[in-house]
Amino acid sequence: MNNCEQFRELIEAYALGTLDAEERTDLDIHLASGCVNCRTALEEARWLVSQLAYLAPDKLPSPMLKERLMQTVRAESAALRRSVFVFRSRTRWTWIGVAAMIVFTLYAGREMRRLRDQTRQAQSNAAEAQRDRLRLEEQLVLAQREIGILTDPASLKITLCPQNPQTPTLEGAWHSELGILLTGQHVAVPAGSRVLQLWLIPKTPGGRPVPSLTLRPGVDGKLVLSVFNPPKVMAETKALAITEEPAGGSAQPTTAPIWLGGVS
Amino acid sequence: MSSDSTLVPYCSEEAKSRSVLMSALHFLSRSELPPDAALPQRLVEKDARAFERLYNLHSRTVYALVFRIVQQSSTAEEVVQDVFLHLWRNAGQYDSAKGPFVTWLLTLARNRALDHLRLKSERQRRREELSETLPQVAMAPGYEEALDEKRRAERVRALMGSLHPRQKQAIELAYFAGLSHSEISETLKQPLGTVKSWIRNGLQRLKEGLQATS
Repeated sequence: MNNCEQFRELIEAYALGTLDAEERTDLDIHLASGCVNCRTALEEARWLVSQLAYLAPDKLPSPMLKERLMQTVRAESAALRRSVFVFRSRTRWTWIGVAAMIVFTLYAGREMRRLRDQTRQAQSNAAEAQRDRLRLEEQLVLAQREIGILTDPASLKITLCPQNPQTPTLEGAWHSELGILLTGQHVAVPAGSRVLQLWLIPKTPGGRPVPSLTLRPGVDGKLVLSVFNPPKVMAETKALAITEEPAGGSAQPTTAPIWLGGVS
Repeated sequence: MSSDSTLVPYCSEEAKSRSVLMSALHFLSRSELPPDAALPQRLVEKDARAFERLYNLHSRTVYALVFRIVQQSSTAEEVVQDVFLHLWRNAGQYDSAKGPFVTWLLTLARNRALDHLRLKSERQRRREELSETLPQVAMAPGYEEALDEKRRAERVRALMGSLHPRQKQAIELAYFAGLSHSEISETLKQPLGTVKSWIRNGLQRLKEGLQATS
């Protein structure tokens, strides 16, 4: 007889609880070892033992017992349902709160974006206004300088006469500190990307013309040429000349002067 | 001609009627579902009506069992109240995969009732070990039928009534008084081996009897 068979004989007594301590301990150890057959037998034996309850003579509990129990059970059931109701109410309010928070968050987000856009637009406008102001200030400074060149008694009046009679004359002035200002109307715009370039013709015989600024007249034929940092060579300059040059200007004139005016 | 008459062509009318009646009873017995199969789950959901139905179904058996153990009506009611309140408050502890509900309930009731005997002895210590834990897995075997309490009691009593009175007494001392083999041996003044054989053979006959009547 192997161990398992020995233990199987004890299974019913084990389920019934009648085994003495030593046998019970041995069977506990055997069951703990994982014997599936004995475990299954024990589960059935427990059921079999439970059937012995029906040997008890019929006996009815008093109606008061049921009454007491039902009173407790109904009270606990009602309390639970109340707590569930409260929980659901709280849950409902929680969801309403969450929904309100979501709506508020969306609204606040939209407002924030709107305000940010407005701020960005205002900053852009302010920057544009600042640029306009700076541009106006620059223009004012230029205008003041040009007025200075034209009105200062120290300025030397210059007339640049065209080599072609069809070309308008340019008028201007040269102030040793403020610079050179030349203006003209109805000036023909050079073809393509070519430009007009100002030259300072030195008094020195054989001296090379000193290149100055280039420009293109406006489409309306208006020409304003301001040189605010001319070389301090007014005393050594014999004449001013303007030629037509490639874009960017030239180091030396490549065409014959269109205008030429003496400096004296 | 019906298929029955084809299969049993020479039986008498009386035999035929008896056969039909037995078939009908057998069908009714087999088709009867456990009346409380879903009730424990409804207890988990704190359904007071389900509790009342379970009480109506099982309180009589539980009370009879507990009274048989504690032998006093006030103590028995106290224990039964304790058992059913435990069921109400801890219904989730019952796992239908571990056996029939009524088996679980009866085991719980027996353990609680034996607790009330309050004996300071080795037997009491053993019972305390049992009662501190919940009822273990108790699987109904394949031959178990879904019977109501009354029919189940009649069947078990009939089978146990067929045992020798001393053998039945030994089993009852074990089950209702929680006595060990040795204690039963002393009580009945019978050899220990005899007591063991009585109990083992008695339970074996109960098991065989339940199988035979299924």
